[in-house]
Amino acid sequence: MLNYVWISLIAIGILVAVGSDTKDEIENPYRNGVPVEARIEVHGRPSTEMASWEGDLVLSGEYYRAFYSAQGGGEEIRQRVKVTTASTGSSVLMMNMDDRTPERWKLMASSGGTKDRLKGFLKTVRFTEEGSTAEVTVEFEPVHFVKLRAITHAALDYAGTAVTIALGLIGIMALWLGVMKVAEEAGLIRSLTKLLTPLTKRLFPEIPPDHPAVGAMIMNISANMLGLSNAATPFGLKAMEELNKLNPKAGTATNAMCTFLTINTAGLILIPATAIAVRAAAGSVNPGIIIGTSIFGAGCATLFGLIAVKLFQRLPMFRRDDPGLASAQKEVSRV
Amino acid sequence: MSELFRAAVNILSIVAIPLILLSFLGWGIVKKVKVYEVFVEGAKDGFQVAVRIIPYLVAMLVAIGIFRASGAMDVLSMILAPATNLIGMPAETLPMALMRPLSGSGSLGIMTELMKVHGPDSFIGVLASTMYGSTETTFYVLAVYFGAVNVRNTRHALPAGLTADLFGMLGAVFITRILFGL
Repeated sequence: MLNYVWISLIAIGILVAVGSDTKDEIENPYRNGVPVEARIEVHGRPSTEMASWEGDLVLSGEYYRAFYSAQGGGEEIRQRVKVTTASTGSSVLMMNMDDRTPERWKLMASSGGTKDRLKGFLKTVRFTEEGSTAEVTVEFEPVHFVKLRAITHAALDYAGTAVTIALGLIGIMALWLGVMKVAEEAGLIRSLTKLLTPLTKRLFPEIPPDHPAVGAMIMNISANMLGLSNAATPFGLKAMEELNKLNPKAGTATNAMCTFLTINTAGLILIPATAIAVRAAAGSVNPGIIIGTSIFGAGCATLFGLIAVKLFQRLPMFRRDDPGLASAQKEVSRV
Repeated sequence: MSELFRAAVNILSIVAIPLILLSFLGWGIVKKVKVYEVFVEGAKDGFQVAVRIIPYLVAMLVAIGIFRASGAMDVLSMILAPATNLIGMPAETLPMALMRPLSGSGSLGIMTELMKVHGPDSFIGVLASTMYGSTETTFYVLAVYFGAVNVRNTRHALPAGLTADLFGMLGAVFITRILFGL
């Protein structure tokens, strides 16, 4: 199942990117090869002989919207630019991106390799009499394959992020695994486990009720509910290791593992702290209003998730690989 | 009532970690466990576990990264939009529902954006934040947890996790409509 979902994510991503870039090639939303008509208000002492000069590129918002058939731009667009004239006579324009830069130009700049600058070529320059302004036509560097570039960037970027996340886990993992080990040796986990046996026996019939895995799962679920995700992950991974000790078929998930992870992916949490913080930051009158609704939503997720996981484990396509069943059959054949 | 509950859970979540540390290690001393030695013995595995999940996390995050960057989410939202109208879910919140199981940071971004546009106390704002709190990042959880024990055949964990996500989202729409409905 995961195999197909995984390859689908990648394949759909690439196909959509190719489709979107093909559409761009046909519709040309970046107006590749079509010059923009604008005015440059020259800064400082203007001179046509100078190799490089600076100024403000000015064009009306109306012209921008019509040119790109896009939103935004406001009344007037004013961008700081630097013009450099090469010895061959061709002039290159560099536009600095800022907060007021229209979206389309930002997109063009970010796909051109230079994130904060947009490069263009001055096709024609005509200075006014006194030389303080110049009527220009600018052809921006052509933009191709925006989405394909984006997915390449994302793939490399996320590979790095994965390692950062994993390495970031080392410290807290070590801390909580150490604490867990002490609690285990002291017999604390076992007593905790006994308390909840009636519940855990139903959820995980395959696991002996006093197994350390049960203790770790209880710790994980409690930590999750309190919103202590830093502690929850190490407890959860410890639980997985303990569950794996009962797994006769390495590399294949047992029913207990799937049940445990379903509870985890449903994410029942008493205080959804992140969502509340974002609401407060957005200026909500009552940020905590979603506590009740979130508990209801996550409660639905947990309940139906558990029903689903218990139903799915009976389906032939998942039952076939059940490690518990495989070992039972082996024992039968040995007899 | 909800304020009191919130305060109680807040306090609990602040004192929980110091309390766990003290009680677990203290109980160890009472039971004559060599706490320092045993702690270090257990902590030793932290590094291996973290390193073990790297390949799983790379595989999962790269696939999700490609999917997100391609803009496939917009295409999917467009296809599914008619279905959301049937259950009374605003089309604006559909990307949120689709992104939630895939990426925590992605759905956080969508939630923030929706609140900025529609206001945190609007129906869409409340629904988006309820959705965020109604389930977990399924793909991330599966990658990390199964990665830690080198499980590659995940059997029915993904369909069950996604079913949980689906009902979490439906539950969020249902309760938000009833309490804050149009």
